[in-house]
Amino acid sequence: MSENSSSRRSGFDRRAFVAGVAGSALVPLTARAVAQDAKAPAAQDPALPVDVTLRVNGKDKRLQLDARTTVLDALREHLKLTGSKKGCDHGQCGACTVLIDDRRVVSCLTLALAAEGQEITTIEGLATNDRLHPMQQAFIDNDAFQCGYCTPGQIMSALACVKEGHAGSDADIREYMSGNICRCAAYPNIVAAVKQAAPEIMKG
Amino acid sequence: MRPFSYQRASDPDMAVRALSAAAAASNPLTKAAAQPLAGGTTLIDLMKLDVMRPAAIVDINSLAQGWSAIEPGSEALRLGALAKMSDVAAHAEIERNYPVIANSLKLAASAQLRNMATLAGNVMQRTRCSYFRDVSYENCNKRNPGSGCAAMDGVNRMHAVLGTSDQCVATYPGDFAQALVALDAMVEITGKAGTRSMPFAQLHKTPGNTPDIETMLQPGELISAFSVPGQWPRSVYLKARDRQSYEFALSSAAVALDVQGGTIRDARVALGGVATVPWRAREAEALLKGQKFDDGLAQRVADAAFADAKGRQHNGFKIALGKRVVMRALQQAVTMEIRS
Amino acid sequence: MTAAAPEPKANMGQPVPRYDAASKVTGRATYASDMPLDNPAHAFLVTSAIAKGRVDSFDLDDARAVRGVIDIVTHENAPKLKESKLFSNGGYAGTTIQPLKSADIAHDGQIIAVVIAESYEAAREAANRVKVSYTAVAPSASFGSPGTTTAAAKGQNAQFKEDPQVGDFARAFDEAEVKLTASYDTPPQHHNPMELFTTSCAWMGDNLVIYEGSQYVYGLKNGVAEQLGIDADKVRVVNPYVGGGFGSRGSMTPRTAIIAGIAKRLNRPIKLVPTRDQGFTITTHRAETRHEIRLGASRDGKLVALRHEGAEVSSRPDAYCVGGTKTTTRLYACPNVASLVSIVRADRNTPGFMRSPPEVPYLFALESAMDELAVKLNMDPVELRRINDTTVEPIGGKPYTSRSLMACFDEAAKAFGWSQRSPQPKSMSDGDWLIGYGCAATCYPTQMAPSAARVRLQRDGRTRVEIAGHEIGTGAYTVIAQTAAERLGVPLDKVAVFLGDSELPPAPVAGGSNSTASTCSAVMMVCDQIRQRLFKAVMPSDSLTDKAKETVGLSQAPSTQAAKSDRPLDIEKAFDALGAGVVEEYGEWKPEGAPLDSFKAMHSGHARIVGGHAMKDKIAYAFGAEFVEVRINRFTHEIRCPRLVGAFAAGRIMNPRTARSQLMGGLIWGMSSALLEATEIDQRNARYVNDNLADYLVPVNADVAGVEVILLSEQDDHINPAGAKGLGELANVGTNAAICNAIYHATGQRIRKLPVRLENIEA
Repeated sequence: MSENSSSRRSGFDRRAFVAGVAGSALVPLTARAVAQDAKAPAAQDPALPVDVTLRVNGKDKRLQLDARTTVLDALREHLKLTGSKKGCDHGQCGACTVLIDDRRVVSCLTLALAAEGQEITTIEGLATNDRLHPMQQAFIDNDAFQCGYCTPGQIMSALACVKEGHAGSDADIREYMSGNICRCAAYPNIVAAVKQAAPEIMKG
Repeated sequence: MRPFSYQRASDPDMAVRALSAAAAASNPLTKAAAQPLAGGTTLIDLMKLDVMRPAAIVDINSLAQGWSAIEPGSEALRLGALAKMSDVAAHAEIERNYPVIANSLKLAASAQLRNMATLAGNVMQRTRCSYFRDVSYENCNKRNPGSGCAAMDGVNRMHAVLGTSDQCVATYPGDFAQALVALDAMVEITGKAGTRSMPFAQLHKTPGNTPDIETMLQPGELISAFSVPGQWPRSVYLKARDRQSYEFALSSAAVALDVQGGTIRDARVALGGVATVPWRAREAEALLKGQKFDDGLAQRVADAAFADAKGRQHNGFKIALGKRVVMRALQQAVTMEIRS
Repeated sequence: MTAAAPEPKANMGQPVPRYDAASKVTGRATYASDMPLDNPAHAFLVTSAIAKGRVDSFDLDDARAVRGVIDIVTHENAPKLKESKLFSNGGYAGTTIQPLKSADIAHDGQIIAVVIAESYEAAREAANRVKVSYTAVAPSASFGSPGTTTAAAKGQNAQFKEDPQVGDFARAFDEAEVKLTASYDTPPQHHNPMELFTTSCAWMGDNLVIYEGSQYVYGLKNGVAEQLGIDADKVRVVNPYVGGGFGSRGSMTPRTAIIAGIAKRLNRPIKLVPTRDQGFTITTHRAETRHEIRLGASRDGKLVALRHEGAEVSSRPDAYCVGGTKTTTRLYACPNVASLVSIVRADRNTPGFMRSPPEVPYLFALESAMDELAVKLNMDPVELRRINDTTVEPIGGKPYTSRSLMACFDEAAKAFGWSQRSPQPKSMSDGDWLIGYGCAATCYPTQMAPSAARVRLQRDGRTRVEIAGHEIGTGAYTVIAQTAAERLGVPLDKVAVFLGDSELPPAPVAGGSNSTASTCSAVMMVCDQIRQRLFKAVMPSDSLTDKAKETVGLSQAPSTQAAKSDRPLDIEKAFDALGAGVVEEYGEWKPEGAPLDSFKAMHSGHARIVGGHAMKDKIAYAFGAEFVEVRINRFTHEIRCPRLVGAFAAGRIMNPRTARSQLMGGLIWGMSSALLEATEIDQRNARYVNDNLADYLVPVNADVAGVEVILLSEQDDHINPAGAKGLGELANVGTNAAICNAIYHATGQRIRKLPVRLENIEA
């Protein structure tokens, strides 16, 4: 490949996409709507915001969102729940980990529309009445963070790790906590925290 | 990310209709205007990178009710397309009778991604070629047919040594598909005309002159299930990588053996991380059948598996590595204790 | 007590939990992109797809047509910004390549346009729709590329003043009984802190607030003001929490003033959240380096000759270099030393500090060479270090203020089980795994910089400490709170600490491991000012000796038993005597040897860092020893590092908990650097290829098994009032060499190029 005095354009031709855009067979934009919904518009400008109701930490939140909004951006930019962090936006770091219907997922690759009707739990939903969750306390006791940026994701992931039954050994914890990158490298302390909290979480 | 219309399909018919409606005949599946959304771990990722630009997204997660069953049977294992990787990986009967499947899933991605990703989405995941994923490179035959291949003489440590063409050297990145291809799985496809089945080995297409066409799946078609004949308790998935976890394979091997009285009655070998598609090493398998295992045989099998391999500037090591991975996987399969 | 909180030894503070722990585990800690803004517009960057050349034209029609797009800024309509000099030339900038100034492109991924839209989604879409026509020129990518130029660092980099040398290296090497010549390579690396390089700018009239993760809020404030051509008092930088720095946020990058200028023009707050891959090119990185080491020794292991030549890649306009020969020429006793550092200019962005900038690449070379020499001498590598240990650095003959290198080696060797090692290469294994043990010395200069602080003490003991320091994960809040509590004799939970705001009294850049020493020394000094005022109010001036005033603490618990001179001062009584409700003091502290303009410079965002080898009649370093076990799979050649043991002596340890964590992180960073991290460059077009967290590999939890940190007790009264040497950069220095030395032990193969990947291991 020669770079010499070549003229280049970024991006590629999008004509390929002009044909066959969402036609009449397609049903509406809001997630709850189904094909049978007669009131649904046949076609709508996809760039317009759509109504979404997200259930976050036990509360329904009505929002108008661009259909492209991820759960992460919905939480951070629209619900001001900034505990979940953006570290890569591509499912490569785990900083945005939340629970959806009690399963840990990366919220950066989850469309808000697709999460409608599901229960989203974030770091803000863990402490009750200002009492820290045992996993939060364990992270403090074991100094399981430094800069703290990955910590909400680590804690949500750790909670799921225990509930999935993957906290039985150090090796298991290490493997099943590997979806959460900690650049400060607090890993040994994170393992210790998960071990400390596991019995209490399994009890209650 | 381009704007798209979003809809949830409540049943397979609706999903197929929605996906077909937006399909333009001239487009390969990867550029179909409507794309199905399951776990989203490939689609949303590539849409953010502007690599995929569907005008419509059809959320098929509601189909999981009918399409996510995990059904082990004495004749065959049936896996719903929308079963989550984590659920299949943790299924006790799969761990027991198909360790190659369970481990291929467990060693893939991260716990979070395995919770999201479905089996069908996983086998359909697209290459991790850096040049494919970066739209600022015009020259990618997979994205822009006929534009050239930046990876061919670029940084290609992660690229394929088997199944390549002069158009594309992008590696098929998955793990689970190696287990399926090794075990002679069938894939069930649901489309406008109903349901059809084909050998999983035929699903993926090597790049040849059309790297943009990655599978036999047509726009408007969905994978609805996989079935795996027989049981393979003596099976192994071995994956070599730089990092201990959360990384794509540099080289992997799915090996399944049927050993009776020290003689190998049947053998399956598939390779990952080294090929453009889930790669079945049939010539290598043939050397195993009817033989007693020893290290010399393992070496011959490994050599056969990589006989046609072609390395490039940075990935030549994958040939030697791949052979050692095959040998070690064979040894592990031969010596593993079968839980009954 | 958990392993996370080691029992303090002599000259160590208490291992109290982090001051900011609850905020960090609840998601309440607010990083730059978490700050609420009033109706922000969202920015998305467009970066260049070529490394050298120019933009011929933009086609913005598609992009402008995207619903919600407010503006698209290119060089044709960008806010006019003044230039800022490179920090090493007295400026603030990490690069003098100023994007959007012209159509010129000087490196891959340079900012060429900024899209502003009502939503993040619209801004991103429009950015993707920007079409650019370039004239591309073949770029020089790195070492060995056509078109690079090479010249000595001395004379072109103001901070690199000399190539250290002493004696007659050539002759001594020629005559040496045992000789070693070896070359080493290190790759480009990127910091990749977890927090993205976000910037939000909001104007209120003529006043600008910047929310950006920064390791130097005063530098950023003054730098942006300079670029905008406004008074620095109009600019405020706020970042109470920083999601990791590692050097990436130490100097100003071009993005900040650009966003500030656009926000001003649009009269609207702007929030920029660059993508991870953009972070690879809009900030700095650790440059690739090459080294040649020559060692000459007597048969009994005494070094008689040492030469270290290093070369580093920098950008075309900026002569950045780290020049680690200042350390490697002084680490061991050796009468004949020579060195040379060169800078190779390529079409790349300007590199910058990354955790232990000089020491990581340069000690990798020296400590690998020392291991190679030990092999040649058939000598235990620990003993080779012992033979060449010194209390006086060889170049200037200055004494180390303290040096516990061999104590660290002995402690770490014991904990590691070094004596179990069979010295022969390839002699240890376990099943599928070849085992190797290796070790190396680690060190980092003790550095300090002028710092101010404000402390306010209330009658009820509540204390407020204000200082524009930075919480980048080091535990700054915690050790500052501890320092104030100790000095004022108030309970720790009554101390509130405020950091990360340029409205607070200035602190130096959180870099070069100087923060704790500098900020805590300033806080101590200001606390003493408060004590002095209270003592003066309550006691006749001669009733306490000066010494007693220094040592007697304030306390709310009056002690009637204690002798008069030892009696803690009752704060309430003192306040009554003073007739005050609040005592507040501000003070400016500077380390010994700091230049005359220190305080002025401090306020204008220039940290006059002193210490290390550059002190007048002494040299100050922290030391450590690191031992590692590597395991190499016989079949796959996968390399794992299940055990890392480090012993460190760094003066006063303010808090053994945060210290252990930081050193542990450092050891893992070192392992990562040795085995995983490298930014891959496409040599054809000088572009980064693996610019994401799936391909730029950093360790995950499963990569780390056993890490042991041993804190040695060390007291050093010759460095700074806090007695602290700094820890942030100490631990990741020696690990690279220790791992390669262990790989040699496991395989008999000496690998001199980082990172070591499985394909580098021969059958």
